[in-house]
Amino acid sequence: MALHDGTFTGGTTRIQILDDVQVNQLRLQLRFPGVFGDVLGYVNSIGGVLAMVLAAAAVGSEYGWGTLRLHLARHPRRGRYLIGKIITLLLVILAGMVIALLIGSLLGLLLGSILGNVGSITPGDLLLLLPGILRALYVILPYILFTIAITIIGRSVLAGVAGGVLFLVLDGGAGALAFVPNLGIPLLTFIYYLFLQPNINALIILHRSSYGMDASAITGLSTEGLPPPWQAALMIALYSGIFFAYAYLSFTRRDVGGAG
Amino acid sequence: MTTELAIQTIDLTKRYKQRLAVESLSLEVQRGEVFGFLGPNGAGKTTTIAMLLGLVRPTAGQALLFGHDVQHDPVAALRNVGAMIEAPAFYPYLSGRDNLRVLARADGVPPARIDAVLAAVELSSRARDRFGTYSQGMKQRLAIAAALLADPDLIMLDEPTNGLDPAGTVEVRELIRSLATEGRTIFLCSHLLHEVEQVCSRVAIIKAGRRIAQGSVRELLQRGQVVQVRVVGAVAPAVALLQQVEWVRGVQHDGDLLLVDAPAARAPEINALLTRNDILVAEIRTREESLEQFFLEVTEHTT
Repeated sequence: MALHDGTFTGGTTRIQILDDVQVNQLRLQLRFPGVFGDVLGYVNSIGGVLAMVLAAAAVGSEYGWGTLRLHLARHPRRGRYLIGKIITLLLVILAGMVIALLIGSLLGLLLGSILGNVGSITPGDLLLLLPGILRALYVILPYILFTIAITIIGRSVLAGVAGGVLFLVLDGGAGALAFVPNLGIPLLTFIYYLFLQPNINALIILHRSSYGMDASAITGLSTEGLPPPWQAALMIALYSGIFFAYAYLSFTRRDVGGAG
Repeated sequence: MTTELAIQTIDLTKRYKQRLAVESLSLEVQRGEVFGFLGPNGAGKTTTIAMLLGLVRPTAGQALLFGHDVQHDPVAALRNVGAMIEAPAFYPYLSGRDNLRVLARADGVPPARIDAVLAAVELSSRARDRFGTYSQGMKQRLAIAAALLADPDLIMLDEPTNGLDPAGTVEVRELIRSLATEGRTIFLCSHLLHEVEQVCSRVAIIKAGRRIAQGSVRELLQRGQVVQVRVVGAVAPAVALLQQVEWVRGVQHDGDLLLVDAPAARAPEINALLTRNDILVAEIRTREESLEQFFLEVTEHTT
C-alpha cells in the first residue's frame, strides 16, 4: 500500500481511491498554512456539536441546580442575564477555538516534520486567522442560539442537547436537496437558499479556500450550488436573530420555579 | 417612594391552567415586623413568595415591595430584599465561600461581608468545602447566609429550619430574632408553628391559595380560647343562657362539662351570669389553644 500516492496496490492489481487532485489537497491540509483551514473546518463540525452541548449545559444547569432562581431573585433583569450568559459562552467557545488551533498547529508541525514538509506561514496567513476564527464562531452561532432557546423551553440540559441534535440532523438532511440549484429553476433555488444548511456551507467552504485549497476536491462542497457569502452571512444573521428572539422572549416571560 | 409597608399584595392571583394556586391574596406586612406565612403543603406559599420575588408572573393582582410594583419596577422592588426560596440552590462544585463570592461580586458586596454572614450562620469552619458535600442543614445555613449577604431590609425565608437539628433550629430562631431587633422585616414561611408562634408578631394562614386567617399571634390565639365550665345539673338551661350572650361564639357540652367559645378574660362574667341564674358552677377554667391547634382547626374546617 502506498498511502502517499493515495492508492492501494496488491500484486498486479492497483486500486486507486483518491485521484491526484485529492492527494494534492490532502498534502496541502497537512502542512502550513493549510492546517489552519483544516482545523477551522473541524471546529465547525465536531466543535459545533460540542459547542451546542456546552450551551445546553451552561443554561440548563442553572435550571437543574436551581441557581437561576437564586440569581433572578437578586437581579431581576432577565434580558441582561441571558445576554451576559450568551456573551460568556461565546467567549469560552472562542477560547476553545484558539486552543484547538494551537493544538492543530502543533500536530501539523509534528506530522509535517515526520513527512518532511512542514510548509510555511506568511504574515498574511496569520492575519487570515482572525476572520477565520470569527467566521467559524459566526457559523456556530445559530446552532448555539437554537440550543439555548430549546433549553429554556425545556428548562433542562437534556432538552437542550436533544433539541440541538435533532436540529442538526434535520438541518443536515437539507443537504439532500443540494441538487436543487442544478435544476436551474430560480424559485426552487431561492427556496433552497432559505434553508440554513447551504448558507452554513457557503461560509465553511471559505475556511479552506482562503488558504488556497479546493474544498470540493475532498468534501464535495463547491461554491457552485451555494449562495454567495454575503447572502449566506445575511441568512445566518436572520436565523440567529430569530433564535435569539425566541430564547429572549421565552426567558423573560416564562415563570421560574414555583408550583406548576 | 417611602411607605410603611414592606410587603403589600392586592388581590394577587396565580392560575396554572385549571388550577388556582393563589386566589385574590391580599396581605400587608409592616416594616420591621416578623410576619409568619403559614399554610399546609400545596397551599400556595412558595408560589406567593415566587410572585413577590418576580420569579412567577401573577395572573392578576399586584405585588409591591416597599411600594414598588414587582412586575413593573422589579429592580427597585428587589433592591433591599434577601430571599431563600424552596430548597437551597448553589453551584455544587464550588465551596460555600466561593458560592457566596459569586453572589457578592454580582451584588457589589465587599468580600468582608462573606465572612460575617458565614459566621452568623456558623458555617465558617466548613466554608472551604464544596457545596455538594454539605448536609441538608449546612445547605440551609448557606442559603440563609446568602439571603443576608447584601444586608437587606426585607428577608424572606421559605422553610428556613428544614433539615436542621434541634440545636440548629434554635440557632435559626435566635438569628431571626436578632435580625428583627435590627429593624429588618422578616417574612417567614414555615411549617413549624411552634417556631412561628415564638418569633412572629403577626401571621397569615392560607389554604388552597386563599387567605383564611390573618392577625397578630395574640389575636389568633384569643380566637382559639375556650372557657370550660362544669355545672351541677341544669346543663340545658346553662347552654341556653350562654347562647344568648353576645360575646359567646358558641357553646358545646359533654355531659355536665360546657365548652364555651369565648375570650378567657370573660370567665368571671360567665361564672357570675350562671350563679345569678341559680346554676351552680362546680368548676371553671380557661383553655388556650396553641397556634398549632388553631392552625389545624382553621385549615381542617375551612374549604
